Amino acid sequence: MSVYPGFRDDLLAAVPSLRAFAVSLSKNADRADDLVQEALVKAWDKQNSYQPGTNLKAWLFTILRNEFYSQMRKRKREVEDSDGAITGRLSVHPAQEGSVDLKDFRRALELLPEDQREAIILIGASGFSYEEAAEICDCAVGTIKSRVSRARARLQEILEISGENDFGPDAISTQITNSVFTA
Amino acid sequence: MNYGKTNTRRSADKQGKENDPLGANSEIGRKLRQYYDDLIAEDIPDRFSDLLNQLERKNSADTAGNKD
Repeated sequence: MSVYPGFRDDLLAAVPSLRAFAVSLSKNADRADDLVQEALVKAWDKQNSYQPGTNLKAWLFTILRNEFYSQMRKRKREVEDSDGAITGRLSVHPAQEGSVDLKDFRRALELLPEDQREAIILIGASGFSYEEAAEICDCAVGTIKSRVSRARARLQEILEISGENDFGPDAISTQITNSVFTA
Repeated sequence: MNYGKTNTRRSADKQGKENDPLGANSEIGRKLRQYYDDLIAEDIPDRFSDLLNQLERKNSADTAGNKD
């Protein structure tokens, strides 16, 4: 028996998010799927430590993240210092009119150190609050905030985005009620 | 006595929204969500539902056997 009826279905429903997070962490689709598999097995084995009604997604993300770092420690030799070493070799085209190609964005994201990358993903894409992200990463809320802010600054620098209010031609203008064009 | 404070609150709200560093006005924020949503939209390999079925079967077999 599962910890509650439908636990299996809820795990399955979380797989797309888990994969997206795993790809963001590991930068490798095959490795990401292995990570998700490990995380699901671990989650199943320790399902009694999950309290029904609490945030299942956050619980699963925590398990997956722990698995990622424990694998990373094991394969330490493979892991390069992503902060700096590769930057010189990478050619990222300058942003055109504030719009950045998605491939360039992905490459820029991969240049971030793990802690910054996971923080900006959890907050900016996975939809977690700073408090939830802090719990997932087992650190203080302020630490998450500063990692997100450093990640953002770094991405801007790599992608040569001059300002945060540079709207590209494809900007979602309907959402922007107050846009002011300063030529 | 009303000192016309309503405007103050309104501008504070507005400021808070515009300061969201990864909000809708942010190029980085938009690209981040686009990157992530593309990943989420990918087809899920069957191995995951197979795995969960397997775990569930193993679990009910354990319970039925009640070896402990």
